[in-house]
Amino acid sequence: MAFVLGIDIGSASSKGVSLGNRGRLGSFECPSGGDFRLAAEKMRDELLSQMGKTAQSVDRTVATGYGSKRVPFADEVKSDILCHAKGVSSLLPSARTVIDVGDLYTKVFRMDHQGNVHNFLLSGKCAGGSGRILQVIAKVLQMKVEEIGELSLTSKKRVDFNTGCAVFAESEAITRISDEVRKEDLLAGLHRALAAQINSLVERMGVEPEVAMVGGGARDVGLVRALQELRNQELLVPPEPHLTAALGAALIAMESLKPSE
Amino acid sequence: MNGRKSSVLNTVERYYKEYGLRAKELKAEGQKIIGYVCSFVPLEIITAAGCIPFRVRGNIHEPITTGDTLLETIVCPYYRSCFDLSSKQKYDFLSGLVIPHGCDSMVRSYSAWSHSLPFSYFHFVNIPTVCDDSSFEFFRAELDTFRRSLETFSGKAITGKDLAQAIRVHNENRDKARALYDLRKADPPLISGTELTRVLTVGSSLPITEANTLFDHVLAEVGRREESPLQKGPRIFIDGACVDNIELIRLVEELGGNVVADTLCNGARDSLPLTDVGGDPLQALADRYLGKINCPKTYRKNKAGTFEGDMASRFGDIGAYAKEFKVDGAILYVYKYCDPFGFEVPARKAYYKSIQVPLLHLEDVYSAGTMGQLKTRVQAFLEMIG
Repeated sequence: MAFVLGIDIGSASSKGVSLGNRGRLGSFECPSGGDFRLAAEKMRDELLSQMGKTAQSVDRTVATGYGSKRVPFADEVKSDILCHAKGVSSLLPSARTVIDVGDLYTKVFRMDHQGNVHNFLLSGKCAGGSGRILQVIAKVLQMKVEEIGELSLTSKKRVDFNTGCAVFAESEAITRISDEVRKEDLLAGLHRALAAQINSLVERMGVEPEVAMVGGGARDVGLVRALQELRNQELLVPPEPHLTAALGAALIAMESLKPSE
Repeated sequence: MNGRKSSVLNTVERYYKEYGLRAKELKAEGQKIIGYVCSFVPLEIITAAGCIPFRVRGNIHEPITTGDTLLETIVCPYYRSCFDLSSKQKYDFLSGLVIPHGCDSMVRSYSAWSHSLPFSYFHFVNIPTVCDDSSFEFFRAELDTFRRSLETFSGKAITGKDLAQAIRVHNENRDKARALYDLRKADPPLISGTELTRVLTVGSSLPITEANTLFDHVLAEVGRREESPLQKGPRIFIDGACVDNIELIRLVEELGGNVVADTLCNGARDSLPLTDVGGDPLQALADRYLGKINCPKTYRKNKAGTFEGDMASRFGDIGAYAKEFKVDGAILYVYKYCDPFGFEVPARKAYYKSIQVPLLHLEDVYSAGTMGQLKTRVQAFLEMIG
């Protein structure tokens, strides 16, 4: 029986998926920390122990993500856009446009029914438009990043955020706090501002339905809803949207085993 | 890359790293080195004056520091780096400097260069923005002014014969550059983009006759190659302004792409167009530099009156190169705050779409520190088209 790993070492968090012939076996997520190599090894150890396997029993490993070159045991490195496409395509076959909100970049890409990427766009080199601001704001509000989405949905009076810069957004948030704005209203404003930035990237790319949203940012229901409202369009979000690149990497690993079988 | 390195390419690498090495020696021998920025400076006139044209380069590994005390950050980082290095005496072997109206930054910052740098000769060449008959007439007169100014500086008359001779030697250089480009037509190309960029860059730091000899040696050396230094891979076209550091091209090649053609100022834009011979040399130079150097800085009238006709007259050279060099994809590489290219991005995108060449648009800040970020994009692009 085949056993493959897909390892996605992102700038903030690392994700891994293990696959067998009958589909997904296990998954794991941990912070990438300051050492991508260490994160990769931890990821492999965890995926192996979940299945009671040894390193020798792994048939193939495909690495992706910002730290993919630092995965010493990878057989192949693939770009995360292609891996996301592969992963999303397997989970949501009708998706043609994908928005991946990561910590370092937001990426938008178009693909066909087989998950072949036809075009892509990334947010700028600064953190404006990436998911990083969600972490920043959670820290300012002394909340967990997983909590801010739900709270944002309860807002009755969204504040207007004026800036697209993550650093300015932080100081703007602090100004709002001193104005005693409610947390949920502040969050709703922030989600709206981030959604607007992401949407401008989406519009530049051009949309073919259906549209899927993945990456860590897609776990934030407040952000997903803000983007849906802004686009007036339903967004498909797979379960565990942060894992799609790792899943795609594992699928690519599995595919390259096939000819020899 | 294969491990065996030829002697001439070693020389090229050394001159590339220690840019200006030869110019320093020549200066010590009493020669006059005239620096220039941008492809619009007619080098033939400098050569005809008995001086040595030397292209001022930036350095993406050197943070811009003292230069920023005189130039604001709205000037593109490439040009600021050139100025920064000059202000740090990197080019103190120059006797003079010529700056053309290649973009707004060059005009607006001319006084910063001419007042803060210790050279004895400065000249600004006014390049028309349009290509009407009157523009060529004006530009010829402007080049005559440049000629007379160099006569005064060098104390030597520059005759029509001198100009014709300089045109001939510079044309030879372009023929050789063309021959180097032809080596890229093989799949995989016989010369890598990294090697060729180094050769052309070094060539612009040498007297033209020495550059010609160097190019001959490179042609002979590479011509003897039995195999390419590259593996087969997507054939990439680089579209942009002055990319005078090899890092981007090397990055593309490290990721498995082969850089086979370009429109770069330190590449095909400047190295390939020839000057007509036989007629009035100044008019021939005016025709070459204004008519044949296809820079977004110049407005070319939409003679066809259609969108497609406009695209073809502005970007037709891109389509021709794409065909000739069998390009699989293109990278449009634009510096932040580069107005001439910045304004053109949407039109260029539309043109690439019309000729069905996949395009990756990159905006960068002229710093080696951004290579990691570019890598993410280039890698995905190569996988997408590969």
